[in-house]
Amino acid sequence: MNPGKARSILALGTVMMLTAALAACSGNNAGGNGKNGDAPATESAASPSGSGSAAGAAADPFGKYDPPIEITTVRNLSDVVENNVLGVLKDETLEDNRWSRLYEDKLGIKMKYNWVMKGDENSDQYLQKMNVTLASGDLPDVIPVNATQLKQLADSDQIEDMTNLYEQYASPLLKKILSEEGSGPFDAATFDGKLMAIPQTGSSIEQAQFVWIRTDWLDKLGLQPPKTMNDVLAISKAFAERDPDGNSKKDTFGLAITKDLWGGAMGLEGFMAGYGAYPNIWLEDSSGKLTYGSVQPEMKKALQALQAMYKNGELDKEFGVKDGSKISEVIANGKIGMEYGQQWNSIWPLQLNKNNDPNAQWRAFPIVSESGDPAKIPLKFSTTKFFAVRKGAAHPEAVIKLFNMHVEKNWGETQENEYYYAPPDAESVWQLSTVQPAPPKKNLELFRTLEEVRKTGDKSKLTGEAKAVQQKLDAFASGSKDGFALWGWERIYGPEGAEGVVDQYDKNNQFLFDKFVGAPTATMVERQSTLEKMQNEVFVKIILGAPIEEFDKFVLDWNKLGGEQITKEVNDYYASMKK
Amino acid sequence: MAQTATSNRTGGIPANRKSRRDWFPVLNAVLLIFISLLCILPLIHIIALSFSSSAAASAGRVRLWPVDFTMASYSFTAGRAAFWKAMLVSVERIGIGTPLNLLMTILVAYPLSKETTAFRMRMVYAWIFFMTMLFNGGLIPWYSTLKEFHLLDTIWGLVLPGAVPVFSVILLLNFFREIPKELEEAALIDGAGHWRTLWTIFVPISKPAIATLALFSMVEHWNSWFDGLLIMGDPTHYPLQSYIQTIVIQQNLSNVSYDDVLNLAQISDRTLKASQIFLGSLPIIAAYPFLQKYFVKGIVLGSVKG
Amino acid sequence: MKIGKWRRELPLHVMILPGLLLILLFSYVPMAGITIAFQKFIPARGLFGNQKWVGWDNFDYVMNLPNFKQVLWNTLYISSLKLILGLIVPIVVAVLLNEVKNQLLKRSVQTAIYLPYFLSWVVLGGILIDILSPSEGIVNALIKSFGLDPIFFLGSNHWFPSTLIVSDIWKNFGYGTIVYLAAITGIDPGLYEAATIDGANRWRKIWHITIPGMRMVIVLLSVLSLGQLLNAGFDQVFNLYSPQVYESGDILDTFVYRIGLLDAQYGVATAVGLFKSIVSLILISGSYFFAYRFAKYRIF
Repeated sequence: MNPGKARSILALGTVMMLTAALAACSGNNAGGNGKNGDAPATESAASPSGSGSAAGAAADPFGKYDPPIEITTVRNLSDVVENNVLGVLKDETLEDNRWSRLYEDKLGIKMKYNWVMKGDENSDQYLQKMNVTLASGDLPDVIPVNATQLKQLADSDQIEDMTNLYEQYASPLLKKILSEEGSGPFDAATFDGKLMAIPQTGSSIEQAQFVWIRTDWLDKLGLQPPKTMNDVLAISKAFAERDPDGNSKKDTFGLAITKDLWGGAMGLEGFMAGYGAYPNIWLEDSSGKLTYGSVQPEMKKALQALQAMYKNGELDKEFGVKDGSKISEVIANGKIGMEYGQQWNSIWPLQLNKNNDPNAQWRAFPIVSESGDPAKIPLKFSTTKFFAVRKGAAHPEAVIKLFNMHVEKNWGETQENEYYYAPPDAESVWQLSTVQPAPPKKNLELFRTLEEVRKTGDKSKLTGEAKAVQQKLDAFASGSKDGFALWGWERIYGPEGAEGVVDQYDKNNQFLFDKFVGAPTATMVERQSTLEKMQNEVFVKIILGAPIEEFDKFVLDWNKLGGEQITKEVNDYYASMKK
Repeated sequence: MAQTATSNRTGGIPANRKSRRDWFPVLNAVLLIFISLLCILPLIHIIALSFSSSAAASAGRVRLWPVDFTMASYSFTAGRAAFWKAMLVSVERIGIGTPLNLLMTILVAYPLSKETTAFRMRMVYAWIFFMTMLFNGGLIPWYSTLKEFHLLDTIWGLVLPGAVPVFSVILLLNFFREIPKELEEAALIDGAGHWRTLWTIFVPISKPAIATLALFSMVEHWNSWFDGLLIMGDPTHYPLQSYIQTIVIQQNLSNVSYDDVLNLAQISDRTLKASQIFLGSLPIIAAYPFLQKYFVKGIVLGSVKG
Repeated sequence: MKIGKWRRELPLHVMILPGLLLILLFSYVPMAGITIAFQKFIPARGLFGNQKWVGWDNFDYVMNLPNFKQVLWNTLYISSLKLILGLIVPIVVAVLLNEVKNQLLKRSVQTAIYLPYFLSWVVLGGILIDILSPSEGIVNALIKSFGLDPIFFLGSNHWFPSTLIVSDIWKNFGYGTIVYLAAITGIDPGLYEAATIDGANRWRKIWHITIPGMRMVIVLLSVLSLGQLLNAGFDQVFNLYSPQVYESGDILDTFVYRIGLLDAQYGVATAVGLFKSIVSLILISGSYFFAYRFAKYRIF
């Protein structure tokens, strides 16, 4: 037995070595094959004519490739696109639709998806799929990535320098729209002075939070909308204790809170801002240095306030295990009367409540501070998607042309917004496009246009999205059953709408922008998520009743476990950008 | 025994050993029924949910019986082409994967069930197979391998990597070992080679064990979702559980965007999820009773050892 | 003579060949990726690209993470209890079930207890959160009806590990029961008849015939499950835990998932994977040896 066993272990070792060698071989071979096998059409056929036409077109932002070229990329397929767009437009598919036809007819660019992932762009699954794609070296021509992935690609020299191409090929309208978020999005995509990807700029101001309150409960209990944080606390207490739903049971809560603590709906950012605490973003202190909001002493007061509310039964006892969709059910059942969140909250989750109880009424109020002075509205840096181009791709400028075309058809002089952006039958049709840049203040401008119309009464001049939204408001005003389902829209764009509050924020200059916009630093890549998890864990514990000293310990731990290093890196970067 | 039970009933107090023995089957049955209930109630809850109105479901009023009975979620699911497509993919996966698993299990288990004297390389092979249960290179190399073999986005990518279920091989080789040596020797005397011995003696005798392994393989293929999400490059190619995973997934609201809103409004419908979960589990649950009769003879494993 | 032996063995080699090829291609080739454990792996450079070798750095990094010891302890605690109970419960149920004479009842119970095994943890996670909720859950409604305080099963560090263990047993004991029941069925009925003639009662028969009859299956399944000691059940924990119970419920796999896959720190993730594999190898080799030495039983 013994010699036999020794022999078999020996043999096993040999096999493992053998397979390792085999693996190395097959890897190399297949790597070569893959390149030849995967993209012969684009590489060999398109290169000669492609470079010719690129030169011939003399950097025309809308120049057409003739013969047409094929560009590979990847994308997600959200439920909205699957059901509300493709489900409705029977003769369009993800590969063949109004946008793909536009790109092919006008630009000579055919889009080919190497893979399509069902689900959300922010989902863990999409992130994983993207990561394994990058890791296996199977890069498409156009690579939609997040900041971390972009940094990895840039560091490993696998993507094209877009600096000059952007200068040459971006249309004036595109340059204008992409610069409306400030230089941040471009800073985030710039490495060693080179622009390595085109940022699809997000809209910071759309992240502004409001305090959404059930006004029917306010009226019932004889309360006024809040002016100070004390008012907020008083409302919360009254909602929890004074039986606003009138069932004589103590089954209502003051404020919505989820296990994730933060977020665009049922998040706590706005509440904390009331105490001058701005978690999760980088702030500039008096000496011009950047500091992290989550570890500032102001957090203590905010956490203590929440702790007191929890103790008093104003928060869901089980929030620690309930995610947003669970808490949204509590709201839908009419058990919560106040939540902090963004302007779209009326569509979800508040409309759920309205559907169950037509008498329920919600309204977005500006967030308030302790003193009653206008509160600062913290805005996280919101550009999270970048389009990089694989090094050696035949037509690196093609993606810029897609950007040009997208903004032109939606907001340019030749716009056909009603067909390409939000036709009434399939409102999210713009999501069929591979690239989806949009003006950051689009929704605010939309509201201002509608306000104007409300004053003048002249609806005839409305076009595109504004017209579509006005139709929704009219439908709601008509009191029809279909219109009732549009209550959420009325709460955003109507006279009392949330966008009106954005307008107010904007005019009062209340926005507080995230000061760090660069790619994640080395230590951030390694430690950030661990630190975030630790942070949320400690905060939840404190709210559940742990002593507030835990916060001081958290700050020490945070610094020790990489926070200090991150702060240093962030400041180095900040200093270098200021120069 | 039943007779003594009835005749003792008048006795009332179980004083002697005889009546204590009589009570055991009853207590045992009650206990087992209780355990069984614990196992099926959650599924009943899901079924009740799927037949209830959304309002009742989100209000948490549904327990074990539908509230405001409605078929709405089923008629919606029935109209969802993607759901049925995904189910087809799953059926295809089982159709290819399970026979392949069984073939490989049988072909590998037979040689490994021989004594080292009859098959000298036995231990080497056994450890080579066994090691794969312990070591793996992780997700990235696995994905790269599939890519190099051009198996991404194909049904083969779902069935080939797991084609040799080593756990099943170990179970079956133990079963094979217990088959009396005389049978094999008799076959050899008749001039049968290993192949004929395997197919005419070992496989027929092992039918119950193979049926059991077939069910394990089917469950495994039916319930896998992770590989489907990564391998398939097109949502219409997802197997059913991957598809279900994309609809029941928890939503983290900390980075939700404006565009996800309509999305959220849709997926928050619990009754719809419930109906798809139920429909998704139905085929495998329905297949089970048909294979169950084999279990009684089941995997005899090392038990008849003399 | 030698050639004759080879010729006799040849068909066996041929039989094993297809399976061997498949695992070489799909298990051993990817194992080359174990090298990632010793690299600062940059995904974009590819598996065979120019990666930086860092020796044992990834292991150092993990061992020095503040929660690592706690996580390792949680893993061992949860999985060893799962192993032990996961062994005992199915044996007991199988024995009880074997005593049932009514075939209809026997079949129905078998069908019922096997049911949860079919449902994935994604699905069961949702159901458990629902039925265990302190305010609305059906379980706590029952507890409250006895005048007791509701228990926060998924939110308290005191209860969370037990909840994991019990729900895992609940899901999987049906599977084990079927296997043991099959083993019991294989026992020679003559043994029972002989025992009855000798005047042995039910318990004596169970103890002296039924349990020994299952011995081999018990040894086999425990040895195989010992190799799983560091797998405390990713799917389950992942679908049930929350930051509130990291302290008691975070296990190696979920820990690695968070720092590894989501942050793309593959080197670290692979290092932990390798660590787990080696511990499993030692455990399983040890138990293989002991099973042979003391029970004269070879697992394979």
